[in-house]
Amino acid sequence: MRFEFRALPAAGGGALTPRPVVDIALEGLADAPMECLLDTGALRTRMSAELAPLAGIELSGALTEEFYIGGLKTVGALARVNLTVADSTNEFSWDAPVWFCDPWPHPFGLAGLEGFLHHFLVTICAYDGYLDIEPQL
Amino acid sequence: MTIMTVSGHRYDLDSRSVEAALQGQLPEPIHEHFVVINGRRWPPKQVLALVTGLDRADFTTHQARRALTRLGFTAARAASPRGHHPVPLSAALPQPAVSGTAGRPESLVEALRPFVGLWVAVRGEEVLVAAPSAKEVVAWLAQHRQRAQSMFRVPDSGPAITGAAPQ
Repeated sequence: MRFEFRALPAAGGGALTPRPVVDIALEGLADAPMECLLDTGALRTRMSAELAPLAGIELSGALTEEFYIGGLKTVGALARVNLTVADSTNEFSWDAPVWFCDPWPHPFGLAGLEGFLHHFLVTICAYDGYLDIEPQL
Repeated sequence: MTIMTVSGHRYDLDSRSVEAALQGQLPEPIHEHFVVINGRRWPPKQVLALVTGLDRADFTTHQARRALTRLGFTAARAASPRGHHPVPLSAALPQPAVSGTAGRPESLVEALRPFVGLWVAVRGEEVLVAAPSAKEVVAWLAQHRQRAQSMFRVPDSGPAITGAAPQ
């Protein structure tokens, strides 16, 4: 499956450098896959905690950890959830640990080693602005 | 103020009263025609119904479009009309890229620019909906039986994204 790097508007005008992102759907939110920045330096896969209740994911009693991200102290709650990626012809789902974080400073999720990279062969072609992912069954 | 008659009722309208009537509302899916108000695309019938309180069955799209253009709003026809029914996954997602050339990133950038700071759902280069919260975006998708390619918040500052990756 191929994902184009995505550019976003810069607040001051112009555009931000296109970045490698993957759209990952949480079970229960199939119609709204969450844009996740591919973060090869991250151990965890993390998303905003506000998505959890929308997908019916229960976080009370979950294992939590405190950490800093983007200079902000936050708390992540762990849930094992079913995730799906899809393109026009293929779809792949897998179970993965996702940390739902509050507060969450970023406008996207982060796809890291656990939860994402462990499950795919990822080829990044930054020159041409895309990444290919191949599920590792 | 512009005096106009819609479905036998007379209204005094201006662009400000129209913009005020849309406060707190989200645009419904664009099927074919749209008007541009406050940088967003709206179905003409939705707008006129909100402004007048009339039932949408009381007037046509063309009447709504004509009324709104008289008030100074731009009206146009969508390049690729969307059906009201759910878009199949195979139709909803863009075709795989030909190396490095597929898509026009600048088009999505410009489409997103009015929505800085808001959550959006996009499909290809089209912004389906923009709202202050992910909850509202998800609710809109469910209500209108739409499937997005991606959902995210359009960053309103550099630090919102630069903490996660080198700039």
